[in-house]
Amino acid sequence: MIWLLILGMGLLVFLNRYAFLEPRLPLRLSSNARQFLGFAVPGMLTAICGPIIFLPEHQLDLSLTNPYLLGSVVAVALVLLTRSVLLSMLVSMLIFFLLRSWLA
Amino acid sequence: MPSSQPITRHAFLHGAIASLPLSLAVAPWGLLAGSMAIEANLSPWQGQGLSAIVFAGAAQLVAIGMLKGGASLLSILLTTLLLTSQHLLYGLSMRPLLSGQPLRWRLGLGFLLTDEFFALTSHYDQQQFNRWYALGVGLTFYVAWNLFTLAGIVLGQNIPHLDRLGLDFSIVATFVALIAPTVRNVPTLVCVLVSLFSSVLFTYWHWETALIAAGLLGMGAGFVCQKLAGARA
Repeated sequence: MIWLLILGMGLLVFLNRYAFLEPRLPLRLSSNARQFLGFAVPGMLTAICGPIIFLPEHQLDLSLTNPYLLGSVVAVALVLLTRSVLLSMLVSMLIFFLLRSWLA
Repeated sequence: MPSSQPITRHAFLHGAIASLPLSLAVAPWGLLAGSMAIEANLSPWQGQGLSAIVFAGAAQLVAIGMLKGGASLLSILLTTLLLTSQHLLYGLSMRPLLSGQPLRWRLGLGFLLTDEFFALTSHYDQQQFNRWYALGVGLTFYVAWNLFTLAGIVLGQNIPHLDRLGLDFSIVATFVALIAPTVRNVPTLVCVLVSLFSSVLFTYWHWETALIAAGLLGMGAGFVCQKLAGARA
């Protein structure tokens, strides 16, 4: 069952990655479909982050002392200011772990 | 062509070095993927198999979470399909560079096509693009991801509750750093806000399909905004 799941997931992810690399595939994505898919990265990645930030340990935490929330705000500010993905990732992780130990 | 070998080796090394920072930054996430698999009662081989075969961090972590919650095979596969649909766009964007390559290169580089791979290789044009450079980027990231997963599996077996250390923040830190610069217009901002709000709400309501529903709702909201703005202009 688990191995079936792993193989199935592997196949689906690979098909997503490979589909448009196949030269024989006739490209018939409508412009509307492309515009919709254009929101896939911000839409899906945000949906993954939301519950991690606001529901740590599956408990709703809307307080301003939520280290996940503060860390995210720091990450947004850093990446917009520095335009460096790596720097903002590393610094916001460091700040998150510091906040987490202070606020715990 | 033996004379081209030093050049290909150089390009491969160049790609490997270029991908080192992102390969190291993925460490907490890889540790989490390995330790969470153990925590969800997967065997070490299954945990490693996820990273070796699926090679998609977000999908792996969500699948493990859903397994723990007792979700069905079908719903996990559907979530995987939707969660990794951004790769369709990466493929589309890299089509001019890769669709002319021989089959084994298309299959190999296609398998390695992650967010990070896309970020490091997609900006080259057809003349500048070097498949050995791309292979160096992709393979380095693949090896790093699997080594950190292995470390997570070993640590997860010895240190209980590694998942409570907040390692999942590295996902947020990475994705926020990837999302924030893309929010350059109102429709994208609306997409992010709708997706954020509904993902929290639907998860709070314990919807099994919370992430897909929230993601699609956000994408739809962004799309509608774009259409409305286009109609007005």
